[in-house]
Parts: sequence; C-alpha cells; structure tokens
Amino acid sequence: MLRASIETEGAEVDYRGIADAASAEESTLPGAGALVGFVEASLSTDREAAIVARERVRRELGDEALVDAAAVIGNFERMTRIADATGIPLDAPVSVMTESIRAELGIDEFGRADDRAPLKGWQRWLGRMLDPAFRIGMRWLGRRERAKSAPSSSKPTV
Amino acid sequence: MADRPIEVSEVGDVAAGPRMPFDYAAPSADPIREDLVIAHRRAWDRISEAGTWWNGRERVAIAAEARAAEYCSLCRRRREALSPFSEEGDHDDVSGDVLPPAAIDAVHRIITDPTRLTSAWVESMVEMGVPKTHYVELVSVVVSIRSIDAFHNAMGLEPERLPTPRDGEPSRRKPDSAVEGEAWVPMLPAGRLRGEESDLWGMQTGNVIRALSLVPDAVRWLKELSAAHYLDMKAMPDFTRGRGPLSRAQTELIAGRVSAMNECFY
Repeated sequence: MLRASIETEGAEVDYRGIADAASAEESTLPGAGALVGFVEASLSTDREAAIVARERVRRELGDEALVDAAAVIGNFERMTRIADATGIPLDAPVSVMTESIRAELGIDEFGRADDRAPLKGWQRWLGRMLDPAFRIGMRWLGRRERAKSAPSSSKPTV
Repeated sequence: MADRPIEVSEVGDVAAGPRMPFDYAAPSADPIREDLVIAHRRAWDRISEAGTWWNGRERVAIAAEARAAEYCSLCRRRREALSPFSEEGDHDDVSGDVLPPAAIDAVHRIITDPTRLTSAWVESMVEMGVPKTHYVELVSVVVSIRSIDAFHNAMGLEPERLPTPRDGEPSRRKPDSAVEGEAWVPMLPAGRLRGEESDLWGMQTGNVIRALSLVPDAVRWLKELSAAHYLDMKAMPDFTRGRGPLSRAQTELIAGRVSAMNECFY
C-alpha cells in the first residue's frame, strides 16, 4: 500500500520509517519523522514522549492530521491482530508482488511469515516481470488523477 | 493506556448520569471527526448487545478482559518466555465467572502476544469449550475495543467507560458457505457472495476482511470501524487519495510502522 501510494505521487519509493525508525527523519516523505515518532510514542507507555510526539504532529501537520493519524494507529492495532489471531495467509497476488520488499524490510523475519506458502519459480518470475508495469501504471494513474483535480487553465473566466 | 483496567463491576454505572459516550468536546479541543464519534458509539452499542454467539454481558466481559490484559502479570511472564505456552498460571482477570477460562486466556493472548498464536492453540480452544464461531466473535470484540482504546491513547484521552450490557439472546446463525482450510478458522469464499452475506464485499476481497466472515456481523462491524479509522473499502484501491490532510503515502507510512512494531507478517 505504501509503495503503491508513493508511486502514484511520482516519487522514488522511500521505505525509511517502516523498518528503520531512526532514519524516518531523513525520509523524503513530508512529516515522516513526526508521524513515525507519533506511532512509536503512542504504542509505548512513555506518556511524556507521547505528549512531545503529539505536539510535533500538531506543529508540522496540524490538528486534523493528528486526529487522522491517531485513527490510523487504531485501525492497524485492529487489523494486525485479526491477521495474527485467525491465521490467514497472505493473499497470493500480494505475496507475488511484494517478495523483494518483504525481504528488504525484514518482514519475512516476523514470526508467522514462516507460514506463508513459498513462491514457485514461475510466480517469482511473474512478480519480477510485473514490477516495472506496476510502477508505470501507478505513476500514470497518479498523473491522471492530478490532472483531473488541477484547475483548468483554458476555462473561460466570467 | 490508563493506569489500571476498568472492572466489569464498574461498567455501565447508570448513576453516573446521562453523559453520552465519546463526548469528545469535553475532554479534548481537537477536531475529532463526527464519523469517528458515530463509529465509536455504534461500537459501544455492538459490544453491549447480544452478538451471534455471545450475549451482551459476555461481550462486555470480553472487552473488560481486553483492557485487563495490559496489566496481567501472567501475560507479562509469557511474553518474556521463550515459548508462550511454557508459563502456567492464572490471568489477572476482571470478569469473574462470566467467561470460560479458555476465553479469558484467548483475549489476553490476542492482546499481549498475538504473533505467537498457533493453529494448534486455536484447535485447543475448541477442545476447551470455545468453538471457532465463538472464537471469531471474541476476536472481533477484542480487536474493536483495542482499536478504539489505541485511538484514545494516541490522542492522550482516557479510555471510555465500558457500556452497560443489554439483555438479549445471541442469534446463533452460522453462514452455510463458510469453509475450512485456508486459515485457522473457516471463512466465506473470497468472490461475490449471495443471500444474507451479499453485503459483506463486492466482486472480491482480501483475506484480512474474510478472516472474521464466519461471523458476518463481525465483518460489518469491521467495515464500520475501518471506514472511520482508515478508509472506506471502496476508497482503498485508489492510491491517489488519503484521509483528510494526510496524503495516502503518509497514511500508509503510519499503517506500515504500526504493523512493523506489532511484527505482523501480513
């Protein structure tokens, strides 16, 4: 999801902040350091750190963003436990398309990752073949949506 | 989280007055969206009412145990143990005899050590009197209160007082088309559904949505909360739009970091 959303913005994919919180500050994604700090403080028991982290999000991104970020934290406290408690497998298309990213981020080291069905040779090949098309498709989609939402310069003024 | 869990005996104190739950205007000056208020109030209604397999009193007890797990000394020892099944003992539970011990154990493990749950453990729940139907509904209550409490905690708000249980009998309706095999619990097929479950998803859905489908109302609840906390299911495939002032990439960065901190493979 992160990869797809960054690709649609036309930026180079920058995963810093997910697996390596310390380097979130260097991320090219605006507010990444504040948001990752907010997540970490919110999931800790350090109340002082949480106050500081909230104030930083407010300062850098605004009050509404703080509420939205807190809601997303709540959402994924729920979704991760659903996945863990029910033993669902990773969806096959996601497994194929995320193999390299999972290795890069160390997700395959997490406990239940061992339960994932190993990819067959043709699936790995397919993932590698589809990867550039995925990237081009997402960027095209992003450009199209930005063009749609941009004000038209040819529109006559009244 | 709060300094201590809320006891079942404390919940739903009618003498406390007519205050509506989730009245965010009072404790917080932050612009908490109305759809969050509605979703959280609806969740409180759902917790207090009879579900598909548990009654209202049991569902509120499950919610209370989900909070108590944070402070449970057995859970703390288990988390530090090499194997989560090596430490024996009693949980610091708060629900008395409302729930079977296996259900209390399930709630505590899902909160405090979810990544080390196993298929064999879920099967053992069945042997100890918590069938998979009941287990799936229990999971839905646990994760729902966890998500709302996590929102409060992130915002620096105290947890909301648990609701008063309401009378009523569980509907005990099991969908005919749920099948075993793909996960630890039976799930409905991923494609378009017919009949009473046709509203759960469209042409196709992901496993994390199907995960609770043995109890269709749990999926409906999940959709309500996800729409307020994250994105409506229809908006999820559109990677160009985030929620409010956050871009989709910023939203997914938060999602990814929470998942990584929880060591969730999914």
